[in-house]
Amino acid sequence: MQVRGKVAKRFGDDINTDYIIPAYTLQESWDKQFFADHAFESYDPSFKAAARANKESIVVAYNNFGCGSSREQAVYAIKYNNVVAVVAQSFPDIFYRNCLNNGLLPIQVEDTSKLAQGDELLIDLDSRTLTDVTKGSSHRIIATDVAIEQMKRGGFLGLVRERLRQKLKAQPQRAS
Amino acid sequence: MPSTITEKIVSRAMGRKVKAGELIEALPVDKIYFNEVIGPPAILNFQKDFQDVYTESGKRVQVFNPARVAFMPDHTVPSCSIMVSQGIKMMADFAKQQGIQMYKEGDGIEHTIASEEAFVLPGEIAVATDSHTCTQGALGALAFGIGTTEAENLLATGELYSFYVPDTMRFEVSGKFQKGVYSKDLVLHVLGTMGEGGCSKNVAEYTGPTIDSLDMEGRFTICNLSVEMSARTAIINPDDTTMRYVGEALARRKAKMTDDVRGMIARSDKDAAFSRVVKVDASQVEPTVSLPHSPANAKPVSQVSDPISVVFLGSCANAREADLTVAAKILKGRKVSPSTNLIVIPASRRVYNWAMDNGLLKIFADAGANIESSNCGPCFGKHMGILAPGDRCLSTSNRNYKGRMGSPEAFIYLGSPAVAAATAVEGRIADPRKYL
Repeated sequence: MQVRGKVAKRFGDDINTDYIIPAYTLQESWDKQFFADHAFESYDPSFKAAARANKESIVVAYNNFGCGSSREQAVYAIKYNNVVAVVAQSFPDIFYRNCLNNGLLPIQVEDTSKLAQGDELLIDLDSRTLTDVTKGSSHRIIATDVAIEQMKRGGFLGLVRERLRQKLKAQPQRAS
Repeated sequence: MPSTITEKIVSRAMGRKVKAGELIEALPVDKIYFNEVIGPPAILNFQKDFQDVYTESGKRVQVFNPARVAFMPDHTVPSCSIMVSQGIKMMADFAKQQGIQMYKEGDGIEHTIASEEAFVLPGEIAVATDSHTCTQGALGALAFGIGTTEAENLLATGELYSFYVPDTMRFEVSGKFQKGVYSKDLVLHVLGTMGEGGCSKNVAEYTGPTIDSLDMEGRFTICNLSVEMSARTAIINPDDTTMRYVGEALARRKAKMTDDVRGMIARSDKDAAFSRVVKVDASQVEPTVSLPHSPANAKPVSQVSDPISVVFLGSCANAREADLTVAAKILKGRKVSPSTNLIVIPASRRVYNWAMDNGLLKIFADAGANIESSNCGPCFGKHMGILAPGDRCLSTSNRNYKGRMGSPEAFIYLGSPAVAAATAVEGRIADPRKYL
């Protein structure tokens, strides 16, 4: 499976989820698109226009992207601005899992320093290679087999529904 | 083979021995709690994504086990907007329909209630829709934050999928605290050493004579802030202090310490495998503050004297009895600086009432503080003390990110309740030692 996109934004280390989506927005909607409209609005108001300028955008960062609060709205805020992947040198667990659950690809590579704004990137999940098409360089994607599988599926919902079906079947019928 | 407490807790849940690094396909979770930030969308998604599965199976919609679920509205309560009120109402309706315990607005901050009410017990696996769920690690539980989707899945099946048993970084803390030094200073110092990503993928396990000597309040603070170095969670091996606390918490809900509860306790083996051992000399730690805009930007308070316009004494990090006690000791008979606004928010209704019965609220009120009913307060940046551009705030909470408590042009400093009280008196960051 391959995913393409253009680097729309570059960030440094330790971008926390408060920066991605400010807390005052979180309780004000249950619609995922709402959070895209407020993405990075306090931290980097230019993000939205930059991400929406491409049909498929990619965000690049250094270390520990998505640290802090567990708010899943941070993933919606990025994804629903045409972003298909975040490429970083490391991710904390909660954010990484929230990405996997929502079909936003969290792509870990050893060194993101050469991936420049405007570069065209090609992510190949099968060969686990990130290619900077503009520069002609390639990077190994660091991920477990399970994470790759989840990235391809775009989440686990199908699996959880099947699991619930099995559990309900195993329960004794109850009069309702 | 020797094991860490984390490995032992997961092994107990799985009914077989597991090791760090191992992939668990479906991890059964003992407890899950929700705040009003993520509760409403999780309920909506749960109904949307699973309703038809229940219908096809000829069952009515029923969460996996209502006794293992709790709802704790706490972030911006009493409700600060129509949407928040609607969300809380949705939670209350769903709780009633499903038989889930729903706490009231003002009962307390979720992580405080979860331990005070013995909702989470030692040795359990507990999750909640908030990164500071790691606070429960002080009980010797394996507890961590999850997102909305994992929470809705859990409501359906009680399981967490594709869970990797985490490695453990062990922090061995020895040495006696200097006067005016508390667990907050210790953990800010640790964050300063480790950096915001320093404990990523690892459980931070705290041990050693200093940790042994701490009361539960001090332990909760340390575990609470460990997520600021991106720890998967934090944990402290249960001991007599833990079990005394849990016994009192159980009594509050008219339950008793039983062999079942005791049987859940796990402790790391001495020769368990740790990814790294970090030695910390607590006697070298000074009263510490973290400067804007990172919790890991720690400096001794003696090197800082910036003017402060807002002091917040509250949050899931530092608003329990011991925290209010030390602040009251400093504020007794003194006045808050004319240039500073002091906001005091006890961590739970129980702590609030205790502070009232013991005269602490009067001390705060006489000093000129604003005292609010229990909730997350300005730490969530949505009500009860939003910062203006140029404001400088000293907060006993856990995050001083740019914009966290209001304007991105405000400056937030983190410190202990003692530093907060001394700072409120002087109107600038102040060393608490001269007041103790």
